[in-house]
Amino acid sequence: MTALGLSILASENPLDHVVQHELFSLGPFVFTNHILMLLVAGGILLLILPLIARERSMVPSGARNFFEAICVFLREEVARPALGEQTDRFIKFIWTIFFFILCCNLLGMIPLDSVLFFLSLGHLRHFGGTATSNLWVTGGLALCAFLMIHVSGIREQGLWRYLKNFIPPVPWPLIPVMYVLEFIGALVKPFALAIRLFANMMAGYTVLGALLIMGLAAKSLPIAGATVIGCAALSLLEILVAFLQAYIFTYLTALFLGAAVHPDH
Amino acid sequence: MLDPVILAEGTQLFGEIGLAILGATVGISLVVFGAARAISHIAGNAVESIARQPEAGGRIFTTMIISAALIEGFTFFALVVCMLVVNNLGTFLEAMAK
Repeated sequence: MTALGLSILASENPLDHVVQHELFSLGPFVFTNHILMLLVAGGILLLILPLIARERSMVPSGARNFFEAICVFLREEVARPALGEQTDRFIKFIWTIFFFILCCNLLGMIPLDSVLFFLSLGHLRHFGGTATSNLWVTGGLALCAFLMIHVSGIREQGLWRYLKNFIPPVPWPLIPVMYVLEFIGALVKPFALAIRLFANMMAGYTVLGALLIMGLAAKSLPIAGATVIGCAALSLLEILVAFLQAYIFTYLTALFLGAAVHPDH
Repeated sequence: MLDPVILAEGTQLFGEIGLAILGATVGISLVVFGAARAISHIAGNAVESIARQPEAGGRIFTTMIISAALIEGFTFFALVVCMLVVNNLGTFLEAMAK
């Protein structure tokens, strides 16, 4: 390897993945790498999923089988217990949320920014990253879930019945207290969704960065090698966390949606 | 830990900022301890109930994974709060000095 290649590899900051970096700015609007990864994730999903869904054979195989298995699992195990007979109305939203979060999480796993940085000899910096490790992105997703939950509940039951069914049945002196608690809960639940996804995605890379810094500070090749192998093992755990967090977000959204749309059970 | 003599010695050794960072670190370690205990409790009960009834193994496993992820959710809440404290120490100290 040339000296230039080695120095490019060595100039990577281990904590680069944790924060967002500005790529260019148009006036007050700053285009960061997280926005780029959001567009890439959306573009990939918009391009690939319709191509897969258009196969018209009776027996699915290959990529269509894979996506169909995931979609059927989400519809039968996640949406139908929560939503009952209104599964088909909300299943598109639930599928969208799951695949978008999963795509963003997994795109953060691919070291796109390091590879492009190395191949372009140091010119293209920070062309990758995890979009969901940004609180604004996960906050936006949680805001979508919040609006979907309450607007669907109001449309389904009418405003008066929705407000009446907001609280569980309690004796009448406790009703104001229950309204305050349920109101706080309605704000905290989407906030918890956002923070859970954001912190899980960010903490993984923070731990990786800290481990790399500590391993490289020893200034000896065997210790650095063992650290890199440990980081590779941690990255496998990250993949599990990526799938799990997408599933948890989807499951909780479906649960809240079911509770809002028909609160009988 | 709340003994005034120990606090005075600590302030002498670390300074204000060091003591605040120590507080945030001890706080997050207590939260992590609580979360680890809770998740291990769930995992132990899940393993025991799978041993009692192996046919329900799939559902119990799924429930265990979901509960662990939910508990980690508010553990990360505490982590984010501690990181906010450590990052904005300057602002907090200035606000307190007024």
